[in-house]
Order: sequence, then structure tokens, then C-alpha cells
Amino acid sequence: MDSTSDKALMMKVKNGDLDKLGLLFERYNRPLFSFFYRMCKEAELCEDLVQSVFERILKYRDTYTGDGKFTTWMFSIARNAHIDHYRKQQREGIPVEIDEERLELDDEETKVVVNKQEKKELLEVALDRLDEDKREIIILSRYEGLKYKEIADILETTEGAIKVKMFRAMKELKDLVNTLNEECSHE
Amino acid sequence: MNEQHQQLIADYLAGNLDDTGKTKVEELIASGEIDFMEFRELEKLHEDLGSIPAPSPSKEMSSNFYAMLEEEKQSVKNPWFQLLKDQVQQMIAELTMPRLAYGLILLIVGGFIGSQINNNDSEIEQLSQQVQDMREVMMVNMLEGASAADRLKAVTISSEMTSVDSEAIHALLFTLNNDPSINVRVQSIEALKRWGNNERVREGLVKAIAKQESPIVIVELADAMLELELRNSAPEFRRLIEERELDFTVQQKLESSIAALM
Repeated sequence: MDSTSDKALMMKVKNGDLDKLGLLFERYNRPLFSFFYRMCKEAELCEDLVQSVFERILKYRDTYTGDGKFTTWMFSIARNAHIDHYRKQQREGIPVEIDEERLELDDEETKVVVNKQEKKELLEVALDRLDEDKREIIILSRYEGLKYKEIADILETTEGAIKVKMFRAMKELKDLVNTLNEECSHE
Repeated sequence: MNEQHQQLIADYLAGNLDDTGKTKVEELIASGEIDFMEFRELEKLHEDLGSIPAPSPSKEMSSNFYAMLEEEKQSVKNPWFQLLKDQVQQMIAELTMPRLAYGLILLIVGGFIGSQINNNDSEIEQLSQQVQDMREVMMVNMLEGASAADRLKAVTISSEMTSVDSEAIHALLFTLNNDPSINVRVQSIEALKRWGNNERVREGLVKAIAKQESPIVIVELADAMLELELRNSAPEFRRLIEERELDFTVQQKLESSIAALM
């Protein structure tokens, strides 16, 4: 095993060489931040969630077996941290407002988007409008570069099911983009 | 479109297909089993997704991570650190002025870490002493706090200490004589009673009699004197009765205390 591979570093962390976690942090803090940011769009919260992921890696380092890719394990932890955060918010009665705020693109904004030919902004809005489970698969595959098998391991399902979900998520995203385009062109 | 075709397109988008797989897709498009327009749109959309930027995290995130890592390293190197941390967290949780106390505690913890780094053989008693010292410094500082609730907490902390030094005694006596809150003054008497064997405490309690205005504190002091058998407090109480217009019940209480002390 390459001594600088993710697995090798994590095994060293497990065996007490905690400094090696710094290398893993340098490798993965941005991908994790990007994952959380694309999921929830709140930078400060995303930073807290990244911190929470590394805290959990430290806390559960003894349970790391080295089976499968390190990133699969790490994104499983990330996903759980994200889910736990929203569960906690729900328990505390804090309304999750981000979806509504994020999904509403008022008429004026829509016009601006189209007028400026900012198609990527429109695509971003469409992506945000997707259901979270579908958005998550697109993010893990398209942005984080995870294989369908790895995503399947994280979501505890089959590779085939993930491929089908990916196709359907992309199709729905396409329909959303087209709907937004139509809405804009009618203005 | 059946699920096999959907899976094939998903693989195509992710770049998983070899030449055979790509040919298969082309054949399915040619036969009309995969809609060409839809396929092109999905391909373009997948490509466009790459244009959506994500901001970078702040430098603070990195600092927070390394602070957390350092803390974990300390707790591994020195398991007492965890114990100390738990103690500190417990104390912080009890406070209503956590910021001030937290700053103070950080200072103390920093000193503790520094002292422990090169001293892995320290005994558990040393830790207890550190915690004890920390409690004491914290108590003295909290007694100067603006909130009566925090000053009460400070007095309570003193009751958890196994020993106190002259600075802590001075702080408690100062509180007894000067605190604007009657509750805090009464509680400081309770706290001082625990150190009733200390000569400075005994002297301080007797001298405090003349400085009290509140009947509640005076009665509390009278009880303390009886409990500690401080006979030299009798003349002080006598003077109080003669010089002040005390409430009748307080006066009676002091008379009976004097009689018991004589």
C-alpha cells in the first residue's frame, strides 16, 4: 500500500499518528465543503459540518477497517453529519427555511438570469429545486467524482439502483431547466 | 425507456463506457430505443453542471480543525487533559457569564498543558491540585462579576474546594462585607463556615458583624458564631444592640446568642 494513500494515512491515524489526519484534511476539506455547500448553501454551517466530519473521523478512528475506499467511508460520515444536523434542527423546532428561500426565484430575478444569459445560474436554481436525495446523487457523482458503486455503498443500495436514480435525477433536472426557461421566456 | 437503457446512459454520462458500450448506445439511438434529443440534452446538461461554482471555505475552518486536532493529541498524550476538559466544560455550563470565565479557563488550561507537555509522569494528585487551583482562581474572579447569580455560583464553587488559600478567604470576606446582594453575603457566611478552623476566617467573621446592615445577614452571622463557638463575637453583638435600632426579633436573637456564647 502506498504510504501516502488515503487508506495508509487513515490506518496511521487509527494507530495513533494523529498528525496524519492533517494530510487527509488538506486533501478533503474542500471536496467536503463543496459537497455540503451544494447540499445546503450556507457557508458557515458547511464549515461546521466539515469540522464535524473530522471530529467524527477522530472519534470513530478505531472502527476504520480499511475495507473499501476511504472517501466512501468519509462521505458516509459526511452524509450522516448532514442528516443529524437537520434532524437536530427539527427536534429543536427550528424551521428549515433554506429550501423555500432557495427555491423561490422571483420574477425579477428570473428576468435578470435570462437577460444576462446566465444559464448556469438558472441551472443552479433548477438543481436546488431537485429533491434532496436526487440532488445528492448528482453531487456525489458529478462534483465529487464518486463511482456509482461507491455511492451505492454510501446509500446502502445497489449500483444498478444508483444508475437508474442518476438517470432519473438528470431527466428531472432537465425538465426543471426547461420549465424555468419557459417561465422566463413568457415574461 | 427501460431500466437497462437508463443505466447505460448513466454510465455514459459518468464516462464509464468503453468502446463497446458506446457503440451499444449509438445502436440504441439509431434504432430509436433511446431518444436522441433527450440523450443530447442530458449529455449537455451533465457538461453544464461543471460550470456551477462552489465557494472556498474560510481560513478559520482550517484553524478550527488544527485546534481540534491539537486538543485530541493532548487528550491522547495525557488522559488527564480529558478529565480537566470535562471539569472545565461542567463549570462553564453552570455559568451565566461564560465568556469571561471561558477566557480565564483557557488561560489556565494553556498553562496546564504547558506544564504537562514535558511531564508525563505527573501524578493524578497533581491534576486534582490543578483543578483545585483553577476552581480557586475562577472563584476569586467570579466574585468580582457584575451578576449576583455569578457571584453566588462563585461562592458555591468555594464549597466544592477541599482547601482554600488566603486569597480565596480574602475574596470571600470581602464579599461578605461589601457585596450588594444579601443572598450572596449570606452564602459567603455559609462558605466561610467551612473554613471555621482558619484563624483568619474566625477573625474576619467577627469583624464583619459591625459592617452589616441587613438583619438577615446579622442573624446568619449570629448563628455562625454559635456554630463556630466564637466567644469574642459577643462584645461585637452587644455593641450592635446598643448602637443600632435593631428590629425587636433580631435584638432578641442577638441577646440569646450572646447568652449562649458567654
